[in-house]
Amino acid sequence: MPIFRFVFQRLLQAILVTVAVTLFVSFAIRLTGDPAIMLAGDSSGVTEDDLARIREALGLNQPFLVQYWDFMKTLVTLDFGESFFRGSVRDLIAIALPSTLLLALASMAVSIMISLPLGIHSALHKGGISDQIIRVLSLVGLSFPNFWLGIMLVLLFSITFPILPASGFATGQSLILPATTIGIILTATNVRLVRTQMLETLSAQYVMVARAKGLSEASVIYKHALRNAAISIITFLGLQFGNLIGGLVIIELVFNWPGMGTLSIEAISQRDYPLLQATVSILAIMIVAVNLAVDLVYGLIDPRIRVA
Amino acid sequence: MSYKLNSFSRGAVCATLLASALTVLMPAVSFAQTTLNVAQRQDPQNLDPIDTFSLSWGSIASNIFEGLVFRGEDLQLQPGLATSWEFLDNETRIRFNLRKGVAFHNGEPFNADAVKYTFDRLLGAEGEKGPQRSNYTSIKEVVVVDAHTVDFLMERPDPVLITKLAGYGAMIVPPKYIEEVGEEAFDLKPVGTGPFEVAEYTPTVGAKLAKSDTYWNGEAKVDAVNIRFISEDATRIAELLSGGVDIALNIPKPSVETIRENERVDLVAVDGPTVVITRFNTETGITQDPRVRRAIALAIDTDAIIESLLGGLASPISSAQGEKSFGNAPDLTPYAYDPEQARALLAEAGIAPGTEITLDFPGNYDTFREVSQVLAAYLDMVGLKLNVRPHENSVYYNDIQPNGKTGELYYFGWGGWTFDFDNTAYLLYHTGERQNAYISDEKLDALLESQRTTYDTDVRRKALQDVARYSYENTLDLPLYNEATLYGVSTRVEGFVPAPDDRARYMNVTVK
Repeated sequence: MPIFRFVFQRLLQAILVTVAVTLFVSFAIRLTGDPAIMLAGDSSGVTEDDLARIREALGLNQPFLVQYWDFMKTLVTLDFGESFFRGSVRDLIAIALPSTLLLALASMAVSIMISLPLGIHSALHKGGISDQIIRVLSLVGLSFPNFWLGIMLVLLFSITFPILPASGFATGQSLILPATTIGIILTATNVRLVRTQMLETLSAQYVMVARAKGLSEASVIYKHALRNAAISIITFLGLQFGNLIGGLVIIELVFNWPGMGTLSIEAISQRDYPLLQATVSILAIMIVAVNLAVDLVYGLIDPRIRVA
Repeated sequence: MSYKLNSFSRGAVCATLLASALTVLMPAVSFAQTTLNVAQRQDPQNLDPIDTFSLSWGSIASNIFEGLVFRGEDLQLQPGLATSWEFLDNETRIRFNLRKGVAFHNGEPFNADAVKYTFDRLLGAEGEKGPQRSNYTSIKEVVVVDAHTVDFLMERPDPVLITKLAGYGAMIVPPKYIEEVGEEAFDLKPVGTGPFEVAEYTPTVGAKLAKSDTYWNGEAKVDAVNIRFISEDATRIAELLSGGVDIALNIPKPSVETIRENERVDLVAVDGPTVVITRFNTETGITQDPRVRRAIALAIDTDAIIESLLGGLASPISSAQGEKSFGNAPDLTPYAYDPEQARALLAEAGIAPGTEITLDFPGNYDTFREVSQVLAAYLDMVGLKLNVRPHENSVYYNDIQPNGKTGELYYFGWGGWTFDFDNTAYLLYHTGERQNAYISDEKLDALLESQRTTYDTDVRRKALQDVARYSYENTLDLPLYNEATLYGVSTRVEGFVPAPDDRARYMNVTVK
């Protein structure tokens, strides 16, 4: 069963990537600051003895490899251990991971819903006025800083016309503004990608053959051209999704969205080793998993690439 | 929220999606309940009084917990859970008479055992893991006299103790509840004796408080307080302006105009505990010379900085404390702006025009980043070229400042919630303090130590004022300003009294 071997290899790869990434991150963050001092704050009267006591209580006086090994044990058991400052890491991730995934998926959905029809339209009317307009707009979209767009949307839809909440994670409505913001930013790239890929497949010989056979235009476009273009589009979207999971920090901040990006940044600024190690490992595993999923999806779409 | 972890991500996503879909379909159902919505910048991350020193804890937990002593917005000390106290045995023993008929939110009675448990826990193994213990080590032991009387046996005199009993680590906690639920659960859902109880705390998202029906000292005017953590300034202000929240804490200076111009929102300001100063490297470089230090101080127009950069929302200071601080010397006036005199002093000290000096500061503090540019401009006018060197926060406090790796000037921003100069002065001037890398002066050490061994407020005030004067005369620091604590308050809100120490209390607030 080659598929199992393939998945097995990828799992092994995932483990290696996680070990490498966490080893590096755990080591590097320990060079940059002492959580005992962050915990004690600047309160007057903190002595070296107090700091030593805090370090001992946090297990920071153990050798690095012992601390790392303890962390790996918590990772394998999916327990994730205790944050230095804020209780169970698992509880924190149980809030942050779903909310990040939700935002990433919603943004991708918004983007696909806009960029697919526009990209196809643009490719079919190459050089026409609508194509020109779409290309110029996507260039404008590419040049927006995402936080700026986010703040503008908040000003428009929460303050000038108060119809949507400005931030938060309380209701489904809170999802609309952040997902639209990222959706628009992603669309700028995706529309160009869809257009280029469609242009490529539309000029391929099999499309000519399909047309020559007298197939309907819809069948030519959606069954033959789009399906062939889909391979590279999906690859790209997969990578984009991986980037999104770790790269939503600024949008999470602007919309006060309690996600993984914010959690990692907070962990870094507080030197919260257990929390940072856990978030980084999970992000690494997720990215490897997305790549694996993309590889597997190829096979479903294109029987020629069934994994061998 | 507790998900089984094997199906954890998928299940959670489905649940969230479903929940979102439902809430989109059903607009918020309104109950006949009044809720006050509040936004603050930070998540304290832990509601246990002994695990934090963060102001973001104070603005939540001051509504949940109480101490033996109460200090309100006017900073006066009053009886709290103790009705009175007296000093015995040559001030080595402090006897507190406890209030009767008070219960924790879970029904557990407040009594001498709870007080003893609170301080045993703070000073024992559990306290060692947190930052509060070191503030209370002057207490040797708490002894139960009877059910409503306790004695504090003192290890050494601690004149600030009574103030410290009004906040943070000294909040009284329930022994039975903690034993039952465990420390970890207490971190997230603690129980106190205050006017509100914790309904729900969600890390990074917010805390929901519900009115306690059993509060001994009146009744909260709203049924619930929904406190949200919004770290991004622009977003917190957007929520305030759009009516999403009724009160926003931690208003950043750049948003002041926006709030002032908006008719539905008021800006409320009160002098806070935080002072911003730049310190001098008195050990190496040209700032060893007191004349150079004085010249730098005279070259800066702090009034102009306050007016134009801080929107007038700060006060000038003569030492590292504001007017409300115990130990402030009213006879000292802030260094006057006098560039002529500054140039003369520099010439006298033999400093060539164009000499370069460096200012180190933590770079994530936006307001000071702007201030540093202005300082550079002023110093340029007297012939000093100031290089500004921002650092990552943690690097600055872990390495640059304590290890004396700063340039000639460096940032210091601090304010103890006690409003007692002892807190700041000790840390700034006493030999060997972690964040004091340069100053070691016998006179200052003696003054600082002398005021720590007496409960006599006049003696203490004089000693602390002498510290301020000594620092002023020798220009050990360049005092810049005392920041105002700013709140944005919707006009729907009534009865909100701004707390100088960020310990906002919501008991008497109503929302129209």
